[in-house]
Amino acid sequence: MKGPLVRIDNRLVHGQILESWVPYLRASRIIVVNDDVAGDLFRETVIRMAVPREIEVVLRGVEDFAEEQARSGSAAEMPGTIILFASIDDLLKAYRLGFRFSSLNVGNVNNNSGERLAVGNIFLSDKEINDLTTLVRHGVKISIQSVPRDRPEHFVEAVEEVMKTAIKKEKDRK
Amino acid sequence: MVGVVVVTHGNLGKELIRAAELIKGELKGVIPVTVDAAKGVEELKREMTTAIKKADRNKGVLILTDLFGGTPSNISLSFLKKDKVEVVTGVNLPMLLKVPEVQDSKELSEFADFIAEYGRKNIHIATAVLNRKAED
Repeated sequence: MKGPLVRIDNRLVHGQILESWVPYLRASRIIVVNDDVAGDLFRETVIRMAVPREIEVVLRGVEDFAEEQARSGSAAEMPGTIILFASIDDLLKAYRLGFRFSSLNVGNVNNNSGERLAVGNIFLSDKEINDLTTLVRHGVKISIQSVPRDRPEHFVEAVEEVMKTAIKKEKDRK
Repeated sequence: MVGVVVVTHGNLGKELIRAAELIKGELKGVIPVTVDAAKGVEELKREMTTAIKKADRNKGVLILTDLFGGTPSNISLSFLKKDKVEVVTGVNLPMLLKVPEVQDSKELSEFADFIAEYGRKNIHIATAVLNRKAED
């Protein structure tokens, strides 16, 4: 993989990251982009303790990260880096502030309640589907994949599948 | 009596308790919490709060989790509270088997030290054990 792994995972650094993605990508750096973690000394310490020593850990608030990225240019220059966002909301915010990336991995999205639609093996709200669709329109390739050993599902195809099923249901009702 | 909550990936904790009970009989004040992909962090925190309350007999609660850095451990750490809640990672069957023998007699921090050390001590390499036996 040439660029970084940009991933949505509301668990941030956890088992799937440390035991699957890090060895698979031979990652040398993890960037956690989250306003609650950055500046929370306890949570920062826990993350630093959990990550193997040879891997660099960077913790940033969403705005700080996006502004740094906007200044430094393309994220394609970050091989071996895993960039974690807890929510689609945070990622969109970073995108609007200038963070650019070519592909997105969607792992765990479980943070909000309310009505959600099964897209592939994850559940998304209407807003989240819209937000991801915005990224697709801007040329980002999105796949849904928990761990490297899972078969990645193409987001656009998964949404099309959902729509087809919904239309069929509607027709059957009539 | 110190209460115990076993928080793990999947049903590992539930099954560890079940396995320990096959050997020891019913474990008192030992509650499992299952962490799987379908549960959100907030939901898990609510489940943990309930489990800690259920396990607590006013002598504090020890949380046993499987993997440091994993979600069960990450969530458990947010419940750390001096003399009330302690967390030990790397839970194994020998640790659970020891719980009923010492949970009445030890204070929380001493109990946590003891269980962690006991779990560590009970990992053996067969050949090394046999060689030691042969030397005796």
